[in-house]
Order: sequence, then C-alpha cells, then structure tokens
Amino acid sequence: MKKEFLVYIAILVVALMFPVLVDDVYIMHTGVLAFIYILLATGLNLLTGYTGQLSLAHASFFGVGAYTSAILTVTYGWGFWPAIIASAVLAGVCGIFLGFPALKLKGPYLVMSTIGFVHITHELFLNWVSVTRGPMGITGIDFPPGFNLGEFAVDFSNPHHYFYLVLFWVVIVFIFVYSLINSKMGRGLKAIRENDIAAECLGINLKSYKLFAFSIGALFAGIAGSLYVHYIGYVSPDSFTLAESINILVMVILGGMGTLLGPIFGAVGITFLLENMRFLAEYRLIIYGIILMLIMFFAPGGLMGYVLKFTAGRNNEKLKMVQEDE
Amino acid sequence: MLLLQHLFSGIVLGCTYTLFSLGLTLIYGILGIVNYAHGELYMFGAFLAFYAALILKVNYFMAVVVATIGMAVLGYIIERAAFRPLRGYDDTSIIVATIGLSIFMQNLGIMIFGPDPVRLETVTADISVNIGGLTVGLQRIIVVVVTVALIVALNLFSQKTRMGKAMRACAQDLTAAKMMGININKVTITTTIIGAALAGIGGALVAPLYLVSPVMGIKVCTKAFAVVILGGLGNVPGAIFGGFLVGIAESITAGMISSHLRDVVAFAILVVALLFKPEGLFAKHMQEKV
Repeated sequence: MKKEFLVYIAILVVALMFPVLVDDVYIMHTGVLAFIYILLATGLNLLTGYTGQLSLAHASFFGVGAYTSAILTVTYGWGFWPAIIASAVLAGVCGIFLGFPALKLKGPYLVMSTIGFVHITHELFLNWVSVTRGPMGITGIDFPPGFNLGEFAVDFSNPHHYFYLVLFWVVIVFIFVYSLINSKMGRGLKAIRENDIAAECLGINLKSYKLFAFSIGALFAGIAGSLYVHYIGYVSPDSFTLAESINILVMVILGGMGTLLGPIFGAVGITFLLENMRFLAEYRLIIYGIILMLIMFFAPGGLMGYVLKFTAGRNNEKLKMVQEDE
Repeated sequence: MLLLQHLFSGIVLGCTYTLFSLGLTLIYGILGIVNYAHGELYMFGAFLAFYAALILKVNYFMAVVVATIGMAVLGYIIERAAFRPLRGYDDTSIIVATIGLSIFMQNLGIMIFGPDPVRLETVTADISVNIGGLTVGLQRIIVVVVTVALIVALNLFSQKTRMGKAMRACAQDLTAAKMMGININKVTITTTIIGAALAGIGGALVAPLYLVSPVMGIKVCTKAFAVVILGGLGNVPGAIFGGFLVGIAESITAGMISSHLRDVVAFAILVVALLFKPEGLFAKHMQEKV
C-alpha cells in the first residue's frame, strides 16, 4: 500500500471523528461550511490547479447550484436527492457555457472574462425576479429528510449529522479527482497546464479537455451550492459575488494549486481563520488583504508547496533545476 | 433630443472609464501587472478631493489638485511596496496579490472614511448650461474638458519627452530596454504614478456627480476591465476608444431600454468581443512564440 493512502485514510479518520469530538454547535457549523468549501476548492483546483485555467467564476456555479436546488425544492416540491443531482448537472452545463468563450483566452484575459461572468450571473440572480425572487432571495428551504440508521435517528437539522452528508460528497469528489488525475485524461490536463501548444502537438484535444475541466469543476460547485442552501435554508444573490470567488481561489492557492490535499487544507484553514478573526471586527479584512499579499510574496506555492519541499527532498532539487532551465 | 442627452451622459461616463482604463492599461503594458486595486485608487482620489474641500476648505479645483498629488504619492508607495516585489512572478501570484491589495485598501477606506456614501458639494454641480436645447451640467463639461486635456497631455508626454520614449520602449520589450541603458525602476515608478494619478483625477472629477463611497471603485474597476480587454491590454488608443464605447453604450441602454441592464451592458460587449476578437479590437495580430 502506498504511503499516500495512509495519509488520506488518516485525514478521513480525523474528519470522521471531528463531530464526535466536538460538542460546540458553532464550531461544528463552521466545520460544515469548511467542508462545503472543500468541494468548491477541489472543483476550482481541477480547473486552475491541474489544467492551469485561472478562473474567478466559481461563485457563479456555486450560485447556479444553490438557486437550482432552492427553486426545485421550494417552487416545484422536488426532493433533496433529485434536486442535488439537477443542481450538479445544471452547474456543469453552465461550466461548458463559460468554457466556450474561455477556450481562446489566456492569462489576464481569461481572468477578466470570468470576472465578467460572475457579474452577469449576479445580475441575473438579482434581476430575474419571477424565478429567483430577486434581492429578497428564497426562504424556507428544508433540510434533507432524515432517516433511521437502526436505532439511531439521523436528523440533518443537526450540524453534527449534516457534516457527514457533506463529508460523503467530499469523499466521492475526492475519489473521483484522485482517479481522474492519475488517468490519461488527468495527465492530459496537466500537460495543458504546463504548455498547451506542446500538449496539442502531442494529440491532446485542447477544446474537449478544457471544456471537460470547466464542466467538472462547475459540477462540483453545483453540488456544493445545493448542500449549502439545504443547510442554511435561505438563498440570496449576495452570497455569490466576486468576493466569494476570490475566497475560493485563495483557498486553492493557499493550500497549494495542483495538489490533491492542498484545497482541503486551504478550505478548512481559510474558513476557520476568517471565523476566528471575527473578534478583529473591522480590521479583519484589512489583515486578510495583507496576509494574501504576504503569502504571494513569500510562498507562491502555497502550503502544500512547502510540504512537498520537505517530503520530496532531493527529487525536488532536480525538479527545481528543470524548472529553472525553462 | 433625448438620445442626444443620453449620448452626452454616455460621453461623461466614458471619460471616467477612459481615465481609469488608461492607468490600468499603462501599468499592464509596462509592468505586466493587472492591477485589481485600481478601483481603490479611484475611490481614494474621490475621498481625497472630498476631504480636501471639507477640511482644507479649498475650492474644487484645488481639491482636484490635492487629490492628484495625493494619489501620485500613493502610486509611488504602491509601486515600491507591492508592484516591485512582484516583478517576475507568474500571473496567478500577481493577480492574487493585487486582489489582496484591493481588499486591504478597500477596507482601509471603510475604516478611515466610514462605510456611508457622501457627496462632494460644489458650485459647478448646480450650474446648468443650455447648449442648443441640450441642458448640460457645468461639472459634466468640466469632466469632458479635463479628460480630453489629459489625453492630449499624455500623448505629448509619451511622444516628446525622454521618459515617455523610455516608457514606450519598456512596453515593447522590457529586457531590450534595460540593455539600452533605460532605468527600469524609474520607468515603472513613473508609470504607476501616472496611472494612480489618472485614476485619482477620475475619482475627484466624478465626486460631485455621483456618490462617493468606499465601494465605488469595484464596479468601475470591473467595467474598466471590460474596456481594456475591448481595446487590447496595454493598448492606449484602445483604452480610450473602449472607454467611450462602453460609457455611451451603457448610458443609452440604461436610458432608452431599461436601467436594470445598466451593469450588464459592459460585460455583454465584453463577451461578444471575446468571442469574435479575443486579442482586442485594436491589437495587431499577435503570433505566439513557441
């Protein structure tokens, strides 16, 4: 058994034990949000970290997922499970929708057009009142129905129980991403990140690979959106702005782009950091901004960049030399 | 006549976008940095003018001058503290770092100036002039005149002066410019100062027209991104054309069709432009080096 599997299993065990060990509802609530952010960060990591397409549109897909779920359950009376699947699919379709114009773009052009996309979806949520109820938002979204596990009644209105539902999806998404990046497809995506022209010369279909990355990344965000609204019970356009996209991107970058565990640590770290900085009140975001800048100045590889440096040892030295040669 | 009225407001709006985008596009062209904190420079400029008028009790023109000088100083600080350490970093790091700078400055603005919007009261804002049946506020005329003057001045600066030539050389090829003995640091500082001052003047000019608040920068900033992409990043004539195009399109759409669409227009133009001409309307065809 490979060493990395031990790490994954250890992390999974910690995650499974988390609700058992933590009594405090507020910390548990933050934990649920942090794990929803893991889904978002993992999706963005697939697009930005592995495929190299820097996107700030992730909040849009988060929003599409959230609104789809809210509208389907509240207005049309769908159940939780069909709604979450529909959210994922619709968000994935929106990902392809953004992917098409983004195919030709690179660097700052791509970033700016994804910013434009966030604003367009935000305006849509805000102004398409007949469907989204505009700035009032949609209220009264129920928790997913509970069930009995033998003697034990699972009640999703309890954050301790909801956590496991989110964890379930995180594990599914993690396994999916793990098997994806170790497949031919995943290697193709990484090749695009390193050098798209070379990748195309090697016979990788840039168009379909990029569209795939856009749609899968968005699909995960759709799942996250659905889990988010069913937990919070309320959805409004203000949750899905550029600031949210930036947050998710920061999680990916801080954790370490293009690593499996990076977005997980990034999402948990940033969510708890922002929650714990609440006592700083109005200084909170000022300090957050400074932290972002300092991290980029001193550790552009993120947290996992440091971890890999220590674990990889000599191999990393070689890697560094290769990179410097370029 | 109504169309003409909207056209004129569009030109005024276009002036703001142009002043804003000029700095953005200059900084990208020479430093290779997409400055996401540019909106905050605009906001600081507006507040500086407001407080100069309030505390120093100077007239409006002096307030604009104070704001310009203040923004030039701020531009110098930003270049030294943020842009220079970022030189040679990859796109992602630069983008996140300037986003960090933007969050920092915006919240600093909220802390210093308070979250509530204010309005700079001036004499010029209340006077209207009638030009051939068209009622036009004096302040709006000032905006247009100052913008045109600044564009002409910037053009003269870049064509005639030594520093302007150095800037153009750096925009073409930074390494080659360095080898020709151009002091890169001086050029980047000058560029950032000019960019910041232009954004600051933009903010100070609209302070009597629109509300001044710490979040005023973001919306303009994202639209200015649409403008600079439309014209091609780093392309000065493109930024001017794009600024007026977006301003006029926005004003006419808001006035003639629906004000809900106001904020979408710029992005709709952006999407169309990206689909058909992703390298910008004015860019020469670029061949990528392999």
